[in-house]
Amino acid sequence: MENIRISFHEEIRKNKIYSTILIFVVLFFLVALVYVIGLAIGGVDVFILSILAVVISVSYVLLTYYNSDKIAIASVGAKFANPSTHKNYYDLVEGLTLASGMPMPKLYIMESEQINAFASGRSPDKAVICITTGALKKLNKQELEGVLAHEISHVANYDIRFMTITAVMVGLISIISQIFLRSLWFQGNNRNDKSSTIFMLIGIALAILAPIAVFFVQLAISRKREYGADASAVKFMRTPTGLINALEKIKRENEDVEIKVSSAIAPLFLVKPSKKTKELFQTHPDINKRIEKLKKM
Amino acid sequence: MVTSWLIGVAILILIAIFFFIYYNKFIRLNNQIDNSLAQIDVQLKKRADLVPNLLESVKGYMKHEKTVITEVTNARKVLVGAKDVVGKVKAGNALQTALGHLFAIAENYPNLKANENFLQLQNELSAIEDKVAYARQYYNDAILSLNTSVTTLPGKWFASIYGFGKREYLQIPAESRAVPKVSFE
Repeated sequence: MENIRISFHEEIRKNKIYSTILIFVVLFFLVALVYVIGLAIGGVDVFILSILAVVISVSYVLLTYYNSDKIAIASVGAKFANPSTHKNYYDLVEGLTLASGMPMPKLYIMESEQINAFASGRSPDKAVICITTGALKKLNKQELEGVLAHEISHVANYDIRFMTITAVMVGLISIISQIFLRSLWFQGNNRNDKSSTIFMLIGIALAILAPIAVFFVQLAISRKREYGADASAVKFMRTPTGLINALEKIKRENEDVEIKVSSAIAPLFLVKPSKKTKELFQTHPDINKRIEKLKKM
Repeated sequence: MVTSWLIGVAILILIAIFFFIYYNKFIRLNNQIDNSLAQIDVQLKKRADLVPNLLESVKGYMKHEKTVITEVTNARKVLVGAKDVVGKVKAGNALQTALGHLFAIAENYPNLKANENFLQLQNELSAIEDKVAYARQYYNDAILSLNTSVTTLPGKWFASIYGFGKREYLQIPAESRAVPKVSFE
């Protein structure tokens, strides 16, 4: 127990720094990509094109960033939880906000038989927590509290901000790459000079590799974050039992229910919402490994 | 010459930044402690406010259980009258114990156990019990962070310059976390 009673400020600071670095790296990458694309296509003013790309992508990023909670909630079709009919849900989250010193998030419920939950939003005071009807029905009080403690931890550790930013960035890079790759189909073949071909090849390589690279970074970060949130959940609850039992139940009961969500939203969930087989493509660590780690706390 | 000046200025700025960071840190940690005390207070007040309603709802059923009713009434009186946090938390604990006795006795009254109003109050009070425990836990965490940062270096130096010091834990036996009694399906 003692070793997890540490301050999570370090973790939070790291998250904030990584978020900023990620934004700049991606923006830089984006400008480079657009520049190369401009050179490859030829006949356009690359400078103007780059500025245009930056303006468009910055506005895209800001727009999605400031509405990320609403986008996440809308994309899964969740509904605002009524405080009087879901009093237990509110009581548990309120208790956890007291344990973590967090402001009260907005609570939502989504229709699904699967036991799952997610947190989103750009900062703790704009946070939302959403839980499935399946979780409310199948988990007992202690298990539900464990799950909610995990979600509050994502809020408290600023994971929600980082995950939002990565999701936005992944989206942005894949949009730009798609546009470029598709535009190639409509190219005339009137450009035969060597330099243009080289830039074209670099452009294609970047356009294909960039989204993949960012996607893998997102996956790796996301998996690590789940362990972190499990650890903070135990810190808030002072016992891993609730979360362990919840994960055991999820392992048994989530066998044949799936939630269809976009890959941008999937990393936000407590456990992976849909079934995928390859370990490399997992946004979440193996449930058994998580239970194992929790039991050691 | 110019470079040594620049280095000197840079070092001064760096030191100034450290002074700012540590001042803000101490203020933040102290605010956390004050805020968590306020939260404990809020929950204890809610508990005290619910007791009259609870007594009202059990009155008709538990006429002969004068002892426990008096115990609850008196504990509430002490809580409402308590002036400082330590007194309030102590009285809050006593009230919680008294309520525990009352709920234990209520087990013998099936009619009362079926009363919607009583059940709702019982749930509400048990939720408050959890919240008080959580608020106290956060308070202890906050004290621990402050005490760690004013006793370890370099925080210790800055703390002595600014006059911040350790703060004491509440000297009260911890309220035990409620064991979840009901699972809501």
